[in-house]
Amino acid sequence: MAVPTLDTAVVDELVAICGEENVLTGRSALFNRARVPAPFPLHRWEQFTPQAVVLPTSTEQVSAVVKLANRARVPVVPRAGATGLSDGAVPIRHGILVDVKRMDKILEIDVDDRTVTVQPGINMMKLSQRLQPLGFIYPDDPASYPCSLVGGRIGTSGFSLISGRFGHTRDLVISFEIVLPTGDVIRVGDGGGRKIRKSSSGYQLKHLFMGHQGTLGIVTEATLELVTRPEAEFSAFFSYPSYLDAWRATGEFARSGLATLAGVVLFDEQKVAYLRRDDEAWIPAPDWVKSITAVAMYGQKDEVRAGAKQIMRIAKANGSTYAGDEVSQGDWWSRHDRYATPLHGRTRSGQAVLMSWHCEDAAINHSQLPAVREKWHWIVDDLRRRFDTFDDWGMFSYTNGAFRPGGDYLTEIDVGIWEQRYDEEMWAAWVDAKREIARVAIEHGGSMSSCHGSCREGEVDLLPLELGGGFDVMKKVKRVLDPNNVMNPGKYLLDQAYEEEA
Amino acid sequence: MSAEDVRKGREQATNGDGDGNLPVGIDEWRDAAYNCFSSGHKFCREVCPVMQVTHDERHSPTAFHANVVAMEKGHLDIEDVAEDYVHCTMCGACELRCPNTLFTGDFYRFRQRTIGVVRAMRKLAVDRGIHQPNWKRWAERTDQWGNEPVLGWNIETSDAKVRDWAVGLDLPTGGETVIFADCEAAFKRPSIPRAVALLLQAGGIEFGLMSQQWCCGGPMFETGYHDIAHKMVEHNILDWRRNGTKRIICPDPHDYITIIEHYPELDENFDEFEVVLALDLIADLIRDGKVTLTNEIDSTVTYHDPCRLNKRLGKWQAPREILRAIPGLKFVDVDHVTQWSYCSGAGSNLFVEKPELTAKISRRRIDKVKELDGVDTLVSACPWSERPLTEQGEAQGLEVYDIFELVAEAAGFEV
Repeated sequence: MAVPTLDTAVVDELVAICGEENVLTGRSALFNRARVPAPFPLHRWEQFTPQAVVLPTSTEQVSAVVKLANRARVPVVPRAGATGLSDGAVPIRHGILVDVKRMDKILEIDVDDRTVTVQPGINMMKLSQRLQPLGFIYPDDPASYPCSLVGGRIGTSGFSLISGRFGHTRDLVISFEIVLPTGDVIRVGDGGGRKIRKSSSGYQLKHLFMGHQGTLGIVTEATLELVTRPEAEFSAFFSYPSYLDAWRATGEFARSGLATLAGVVLFDEQKVAYLRRDDEAWIPAPDWVKSITAVAMYGQKDEVRAGAKQIMRIAKANGSTYAGDEVSQGDWWSRHDRYATPLHGRTRSGQAVLMSWHCEDAAINHSQLPAVREKWHWIVDDLRRRFDTFDDWGMFSYTNGAFRPGGDYLTEIDVGIWEQRYDEEMWAAWVDAKREIARVAIEHGGSMSSCHGSCREGEVDLLPLELGGGFDVMKKVKRVLDPNNVMNPGKYLLDQAYEEEA
Repeated sequence: MSAEDVRKGREQATNGDGDGNLPVGIDEWRDAAYNCFSSGHKFCREVCPVMQVTHDERHSPTAFHANVVAMEKGHLDIEDVAEDYVHCTMCGACELRCPNTLFTGDFYRFRQRTIGVVRAMRKLAVDRGIHQPNWKRWAERTDQWGNEPVLGWNIETSDAKVRDWAVGLDLPTGGETVIFADCEAAFKRPSIPRAVALLLQAGGIEFGLMSQQWCCGGPMFETGYHDIAHKMVEHNILDWRRNGTKRIICPDPHDYITIIEHYPELDENFDEFEVVLALDLIADLIRDGKVTLTNEIDSTVTYHDPCRLNKRLGKWQAPREILRAIPGLKFVDVDHVTQWSYCSGAGSNLFVEKPELTAKISRRRIDKVKELDGVDTLVSACPWSERPLTEQGEAQGLEVYDIFELVAEAAGFEV
C-alpha cells in the first residue's frame, strides 16, 4: 500500500539540515516508526506511517526542521522511546517524524547543586547507571524504566512507581529546553533559573509543556534532579481474603505518614486469579488468598528500618497476612509487573492464544475504587462475551500522589487482546469500551488518565467533559503557539481550535 | 493447566491461522514475531550493542520482529528490510532482556527468539538474490578455500594450511578426539590453539587434528549462505567419521555453538559425537590438578564474557574460576548480567560488512574497561572478539589476551 511521499525539495532540505545519515525515507524506517505499544489498529498500519524520519543531533537541527515544516505546512511528530501507552508518538497525519534517540548525551553533572543535564534521548536506567558510582540516582521509575526516554517522559508527564518518596517526572525535571511549534527555542522551569526548583516569577510554564503529547513542541534538553541513592529498600507483599479487605488496608498503609513510603500497590481478585492461571510458581498462596497488596519503602537505613516496623504493625492491625520473605524480598518491581506478556492469553474455552497486553489507566480517589472496579470489570466482561478475542487480566491500583501518597490511585485494568484477529468491528468495540472505561472514571470524580495520556481514539472524545472550560483554554493556547497546526496535528481534538477560526 | 498444555494449546490455536503472505522459512517465525510485537516493551533496545551505537529503530530487535508482522500484512517485502538485518551481532542480549523471557520464561521454559528470525531473514535475502557485497565475497572465498578469508581477500586460507598452527606439537591425524581450531585462530591468532593444545597435552588428553578441516559453516549460516554451510558441515562430519573421531574439542565459542546447534539438524546420527568446549575441559583439568598453574602473572585483568558463551549458552562460571586460579593475577570481575549489554561487535560477521559499527561497539567495550580502577588487561575467551578488541585496546593502551594464552603462560608454556 502506498505511503504518501513527501515533496523531494523538502527531503533535500531535511538532508541539508540534519545530514544524509540522519534522514530516512525507506519503507522499513517508516513502518517501524508508526506504532507504540498502545492499542494499534494493525489492519490499518499504513495510515500511521510518517513520510520521512529525521534523527537530529542538536537543538539547532530540531529548530530548523520545525521551521521548514511550517514553511512547507507538513506535520511534525516527535518520538523518543516510543514506549508510550497513548498515541503521542504515532504520526496519525503522516509528515516528518523527529526521532530524538541520537540526542542521548549527558551534558553536565553538578554534584554541588544536585542536578544532571541531559539530552532527551537518554534512558533513565542508563542515566542511573552513570550516576550510581557518584552516590546518586534519577528515580523516575515507570514500568518502562529500561526503555523509555527522558524526552518522552516529559511529553507524557509520566508516572513513577516510587513517587510517594521521590515524585513523578514533573517533580524530578527542574527545567527544560523546548523547540516551540514555530521553531523558536525557549527554556521553561519554575521561573528562569535553570537549576531552580521553586520560583514565584511569572507564569508556571513548566507545567504547560509537561504532558502535551508532542502537540506543543519538542524537548531538546532537560535539567533533572540528582537524588541521593537510598541505602535501604523494604518491600513486602500481604495477602487478604477479599478485595475490600485489601482496599481498606491499602488506605491504612497510605495514611501512615511515613516519609520513606514510596508506593502501595493493590492487586484485585481478578488480577490474582489471572496471575494464578498457569503460573502457580509466582504466587504460592493458599486458595483463601483473593487479593494482595505490596508496600515499597526507600531511604536511609535508620529511617527505613523504623518505617518497616510501623508498616508491619499497620498490616497486623488490618488483617493482613505477610506473604513471606521469598515473595517479598528482592525485585518486587519485576514481580508485580511480570504480568505483561502475551503468553497468558486465553479464549473463553481456556484455549491459550497470543494476546497483546493493554492497560487502561485512570486516576481514582480511594473512596471510589470499589465502585469503579465493579463497573470496569463489567465493561470488559461484556466485551469478552461479544468477542472471544478479549480477556480480562485484572486490575491494579498504585498510590498516585507524589510525596503524600494515598488520597488517589493510578488504577489500571489490564486487557488481553488477540490483535492478530483485529477487524473493523472488533476495533470499534474496543474503542467504545475504552471510552466507557474513561467515562466511569470521570463520573466518579477522577481523571481518565494518570500516566498514559488521554489522546487515544475513544477516550479522547471525553476530554472536553473532563476538562470543561479548561479544554477551551487548551485550544486557545494551541492556536497561539502553533499557528499552522504543524506540531503533531490531530491529537487531543485540537484540530477543533482551527475549525472554529474558519 | 500445565506448562506443556499451554504450549500445545498455543500451537493449536495459532498454527495455520496466518494470512498466508509469509514466505517459506519466515512463516515458522510468525508467532515468535507476534509475541514480540504484541508485547511491544522494547526492553531490548538499551542492551542491544548495535542499537547503542546507531540509535536507529530499524536496527532494533523489535523491528526485526515487527517486519515479519508487516510482511504478513503485505506492507514490507524482503527487499525493504534485507539491509536492516545486517545490523545484528547475534549476541542474544535482546532474547534475555525480553520480558517474555525474563518474567515468564522460567515457567514456560520460553525464550524469545530473535536470532532465529534474523538468520531466517538473511537466508531469505540470499535465496532471493539480495546480497550484501562483502558478505557475498566472504562466502565465495570460504567456499573456494574451505576456510574464511581472515587474512584478507587475497591471502589464501586453504585446508592445506589450516594445520600450520600445530607445527612442532607432534599431533597425530584423526583419532577418537580431535581439536577443531576455528578459522580466525588457526590463521590469524595461532597462539590460541597452540595454547589449548599444550594445556591439553599437559593434562594427559590424547587428541589429533582433522585430516582436512573446513570452516565450521557458522558464518555461512549466520549470513544466509546455507548451501555453502551445508557443504562445510557434511565435509567435516565425513572427516570425523573417516578418522574414527568421536569427540571434538572446540576452543572457539562460535564453532562450538554452530556444531551443537546446526550439525544435529543436518545429520540424524550426530549424537554419536561428543562436542566439548575447551574452556570447560581446561577448567576441569585445573580443578582436578592435572594442569598446574605455577608461574605468577603480575597483571590486573578483567574478563570479557563472549556473547555466545554468556548470553546464548549461559556459560560464564568456568572462565572466572580459571582466572581466579592463576597465581599473582588480580581479577576485577564485572558481573555477567551487567555484560548482557556488552559486546565486541565482531559477531555474525558484522565486521565484514559494517567494520565502522564493529569499531564503535568494541570502542565502547574498551571504554567500559577503562572505567575500572587499575585494570591493564582485558581477557576474552573468543578469538573473534579479540580482533576488534585488540585494535581498540591498542588505541587506548590496553592489552587484550585470550584466556588460553594467559593460562598457558601461567602453566609455564611459551606460545
